[in-house]
Amino acid sequence: MILVYDGTFEGFLSLVYSVYYEKLKPKNIYKTLPNEMIFEEIKGIITSEENSKKVLDSMKKIFPKQLLEKILNTFMCDTKEFEMALLEYVILGFKDTKQLFNINLESIFYLNNLEKELFKNIHKMTGFIRFEELEDGTLYAKIESKFNIVYFLGKHFLKRFNNQNFIIHDLNRRIAFVKINETFSIQEVAFFDEPNYSSNEQKFQKLWKSFFNGVTLKERINPKLQQQLVPLLYRTYMNEFFDKTT
Amino acid sequence: MKKDIYEKMEILANSAKYDVSCSSSGVETSFKKGELGATHNSGICHTFTADGRCVSLLKVLLTNFCIYDCAYCINRVSNDIPRASFSPRELADITINFYKRNYIEGLFLSSGIIHNEDNTMIMILKTLKILRYEHKFNGYIHVKLIPGSSMELVEQIVKLANRVSSNIELPSDKSLKLLAPNKTKEKVLQPLKFARDLSLAKNQKPIGMSTQLIVGATPESDRDILKLSSALYDKALLKRVYYSAYIPVNNDKNLPSIITKPPLLREHRLYQADWLLRFYDFSWDEIVTDEFPNLDEELDPKTFWALNNLKYFPMEINTASKEELLRIPGIGARGVMKILSARRFKRLTFDDLKKLKISIKKAKYFITCNKDFQRQVPFYRESLKLALIKPEPKKLIQPSLFDFDFSAISGEL
Repeated sequence: MILVYDGTFEGFLSLVYSVYYEKLKPKNIYKTLPNEMIFEEIKGIITSEENSKKVLDSMKKIFPKQLLEKILNTFMCDTKEFEMALLEYVILGFKDTKQLFNINLESIFYLNNLEKELFKNIHKMTGFIRFEELEDGTLYAKIESKFNIVYFLGKHFLKRFNNQNFIIHDLNRRIAFVKINETFSIQEVAFFDEPNYSSNEQKFQKLWKSFFNGVTLKERINPKLQQQLVPLLYRTYMNEFFDKTT
Repeated sequence: MKKDIYEKMEILANSAKYDVSCSSSGVETSFKKGELGATHNSGICHTFTADGRCVSLLKVLLTNFCIYDCAYCINRVSNDIPRASFSPRELADITINFYKRNYIEGLFLSSGIIHNEDNTMIMILKTLKILRYEHKFNGYIHVKLIPGSSMELVEQIVKLANRVSSNIELPSDKSLKLLAPNKTKEKVLQPLKFARDLSLAKNQKPIGMSTQLIVGATPESDRDILKLSSALYDKALLKRVYYSAYIPVNNDKNLPSIITKPPLLREHRLYQADWLLRFYDFSWDEIVTDEFPNLDEELDPKTFWALNNLKYFPMEINTASKEELLRIPGIGARGVMKILSARRFKRLTFDDLKKLKISIKKAKYFITCNKDFQRQVPFYRESLKLALIKPEPKKLIQPSLFDFDFSAISGEL
């Protein structure tokens, strides 16, 4: 049997509910129906607020807080197919939470590594994300990240830019973390115009490039190592990697 | 001719680049409401240069004018190179603007000596004050203390910086005399000792300190170097020692010729050994002995130690203690953590290790897994060494017409 749900956390909890009470044995779980031919029975899961709340409440009673967080974190890895492993994880947790620390089990090891990958991704982005100053002094950053990490980045920069206004804009997911004065939130961004940048912006970008060129040790050049450390994927908005002539 | 700011930046970054330390780690996250900047315990790399080094801090010299004439240094007074300097305000402004764009974690400030030591330190202190008090900047600041400056200035700097350092550069007094006639080891270490005593007296957590040693410019052995590092760690004087493969920048009769390549492998091995000192509970005389005063080029120091101490091996993965596991070549701290948490649930086999993605390329010669062990290589030093240096090539299986799988009993296919 193949299950299809809407990709949300509530949807997944509803799925857990159905699996329990209808005794389903899914072979695979999809967010959207795949294009290939499927010879299995397909069942669509309807997201139900009531059912998902029931599941969440009982999970809160049984799962330690750190494990609940792991489940939520898994959901931020939205480009991965983690659903089967996560379902196994939840079922296992209801049976015996101790087993959730047993990394010999495939699904646990997979989810642990997935979370690690997420944190690694977040950590890299805390370094590689680039802000540009807008006319009004707001700091604006565009990202196109593999995972949904706007929330984590926002939390990180709340500490450092405590006296600044800033926006972290995820172009792929059309959402943005917006911090203005004392308030912050994640907002949906359907359309946007290219903003006006401050008159200082070009100067500091150029200065950054001068610095970047200055610190390189010509005697030890090793582009392969550099690419391993800053994969091309991350370089979209890092101006030191833009064409040298501009 | 007055240089524009871009040129200045390139000159002063260029002059600071031989300092390898650029870490921003080891300071607990601390931010203040309504202010700018915070530090991150693990440190953050903001980009990597073409030579593969992490850029975490804006590492520049305040000025590259210098009255000293150290033979190994690019900025020595007798060198004819472009010179420039930033004003404290100029540099503070750049730091803040770089920080807001998330280019950097903070500032790494060093300087050539302008008129005298104190004068230079005062300029550095001024930069720090503008950053901390005017811009309310809480990001990371690393200051290179100037040997020979007054203790009052050191005290003020220590209060404002997250980390201070002073480069020993050369592992012995003799070499220092030869190559840096204006410095002595005492003079270099004195500001660090003072900074430590300062925080000890106030019962504070000591400010992080580091130093740098140049490798390959003078004839000291790895034994001398590691003995020195180890002593510095033991006295709680330093958090980090950096090793910098000597890159010839000057022609000098006391130095290796300018065409020599930097000894990168030796530098790498020294870092490996340094990690063993700091995270694996090794002592320096286990890593380098009278018999082998230099680190092996072919094998990493841990493997080399294991080969010379086969009496501790093979170790049973399922029963060895954490400290013992850490001694197994090819298994790092993370691998050990995985083994410890996995073996609570079952007795581990080689297959389990593979599933846990623990590399056993080197380790397999030194372990038993639930009494199972590798059988290809006999457990003798020489044969193990050979196997470790030249890992056997993967066997190519050439399909052949006559290569059928048939039953040994009936001869059937």
